[in-house]
Amino acid sequence: MLLTRTCTWGVLLGLAALPGLALANPEVIRLSQDAKNWAMQAGNMQNHRYSALKQISTDNVKDLRVAWTFSTGVLRGHEGGPLVIGDMLYIHSPFPNKVFAIALADQQIKWKYEPKQDPTVIPVMCCDTVNRGLAYADGKIFLQQADTNLVALDARTGKELWKVKNGDPKKGETNTNAPHVFKDKVITGISGGEFGVRGYVAAYDIKTGNQVWKAYSTGPDAEMLMDPDKTMTWTDGRMAPVGRDSSLKTWQGDQWKIGGGTTWGWYSYDPKLNLMYYGSGNPSTWNPVQRPGDNKWSMTIWARDVDTGQAKWVYQMTPHDEWDFDGINEMILADGISVKGKPHNVVVHFDRNGFGYTLDRATGELLVAAKYDPKVNWATHVDMKTGRPQVVSKYSTQAQGADVNTKGICPAALGSKDQQPAAYNPANKMFYVPTNHVCMDYEPFKVEYTAGQPFVGATLSMFPAPGSHGGMGNFIVWDAGSGKIVKSKSEKFSVWSGALVTAGGIACYGTLEGYLKCVDANDISKELYKFKTPSGIIGNVNTWEYKGKQYIGVLSGIGGWAGIGLAAGLEKDTDGLGAVGGYKELKNYTELGGVLTVFSLP
Amino acid sequence: MQTTHYVALALAVLAGGAPAQAADRHDYPTVDRVEYVLECMQRNAGKQEFLYKCACVIDEIAKQYTYDDFVEASTAARFQSLGGERGGVFRDPPQTRDAAKRYLQVRSDAMKRCDVPR
Repeated sequence: MLLTRTCTWGVLLGLAALPGLALANPEVIRLSQDAKNWAMQAGNMQNHRYSALKQISTDNVKDLRVAWTFSTGVLRGHEGGPLVIGDMLYIHSPFPNKVFAIALADQQIKWKYEPKQDPTVIPVMCCDTVNRGLAYADGKIFLQQADTNLVALDARTGKELWKVKNGDPKKGETNTNAPHVFKDKVITGISGGEFGVRGYVAAYDIKTGNQVWKAYSTGPDAEMLMDPDKTMTWTDGRMAPVGRDSSLKTWQGDQWKIGGGTTWGWYSYDPKLNLMYYGSGNPSTWNPVQRPGDNKWSMTIWARDVDTGQAKWVYQMTPHDEWDFDGINEMILADGISVKGKPHNVVVHFDRNGFGYTLDRATGELLVAAKYDPKVNWATHVDMKTGRPQVVSKYSTQAQGADVNTKGICPAALGSKDQQPAAYNPANKMFYVPTNHVCMDYEPFKVEYTAGQPFVGATLSMFPAPGSHGGMGNFIVWDAGSGKIVKSKSEKFSVWSGALVTAGGIACYGTLEGYLKCVDANDISKELYKFKTPSGIIGNVNTWEYKGKQYIGVLSGIGGWAGIGLAAGLEKDTDGLGAVGGYKELKNYTELGGVLTVFSLP
Repeated sequence: MQTTHYVALALAVLAGGAPAQAADRHDYPTVDRVEYVLECMQRNAGKQEFLYKCACVIDEIAKQYTYDDFVEASTAARFQSLGGERGGVFRDPPQTRDAAKRYLQVRSDAMKRCDVPR
């Protein structure tokens, strides 16, 4: 019904060709279908990170050279990447979240926007003051600031058109995620799972900034926009309604109010189904003993109607999390993926917990759940009937209990993969996944909740996966239909950069040493190009075309300090983890700010 | 402008100064040596004398490490100070911590030898 109405609207508006009406979705879809642009953070609404450009190919990628660079002048971690629309490039920085509009013709800054933000927001950001980038629609650039302000800027001038407050940093609510434009709404989430925030996603009208809907991850059905009879979930091998109070029943008392389930990842959208997909994060605290129950709907894949926010289906990956396996990673939509000989239109998700999930994205049926790192050991497998992971008690921080150091859990808390998004090649239907190959010892301890204070409750220590290649990362090719690793390329350090795959037959990603690497997409063991950028890479690799030339761009800069006299920082420092908010102060000196390095062929 | 100037100078020095001791040295890309010298000069107020002193430091380091080992060890050292979980990945694993420690020691010895205070 809704679908029909939407289509009619689209047609009517299209015929009338009225500028300025809510045409954002068709506009952004059209822009993203032109491979010359990179109009969304992931290239398209399906989160593919794929480009049809093929000027840069397996044959000539070895000749890539630096075309130009741009420094944001800001230190600390640089995630996300630039947007390119026509002859303009838009790039963001970590806190204070500057925005630069750069003319591709001469790389001159056309305009710059620098919000005034209260620096007291910095200590309540758990994991560096990153920002994952901008969104574009309707002649506007959308910026989701750290202090939770969501801002719409005029793409031509940088003028602030509207600004709305999405959360409250005093309660530990901050933002690091990129805003996502689906249809006529800009959709954003919230961070702060380490501060006992109650996670939600919210949709704002792109014209006015008015909030259209807001949906929590935990709590009463109405506040989660969940219908007990119509919202479905995988139950005993089939889809069934979630029933009344599906979240409340899985928490002790009022714990859901500070229950986490934050939403700082990469969302996707299926225009035909009018559904958006995203994941919710870990329950608070990290000490599982303190919060009995499944803690729904933390650690969950969500499908919501974009117009109403109503939850169509949910699937909880890690009930009662005991390891901080935050479920926020990207949701990739792929069509015609063959599972046991039958094609499905699916959502694919590489969770921190080390399992790659394939679900029918219309119904929410669980099709595949398999380890995408062979060293994953906290669960033997996911029971395909119940959908629950079969936890190994030796690695259960709950079973071992508080103040016991549970050793040798794989993966570590930051997961077999964190937010760094994978790429999907629709041509060969393969996924290119940057991963961590790290395990941990984990010791939960009791904590009291205080608003705006870290609510972590675990100490941990990390190390490379034992009995493997000794490195801490892999770049893999994944078959989401069979749930198998097709090929794996080892890396010395974890791969924290988002991948790109192109019709030119190359797959590219960045490394923590600072290398941009491009490999043969058909055989990723063949490294075709490597270039050392000024700092470690945790940004995502993008590509675009300007005046007949293909470019590849990536942000480098992970923070840290190259400096001298570092001996004090060398000793084991569990505080750095426990007090994730207690950010280790950077010294006055760092060699460089974050840099966007842009490559092309000679 | 100033940067370009340094690069030209550094290149000249590296190109001219290298052959005498080439046998002792591992093969590092010019970019890495120049980058090291520039950063080191910047730390020392960009004074001319540090062109020579800083070039001396990276040459000393290059005697101790192959290029790949230098990249790995300097990466490990650089990110020891990262906050939170991310820094943990560099601080916790013994081999990374040891690699960072050794690198900082090698560099600190080189700096002493080359009279570079910062």
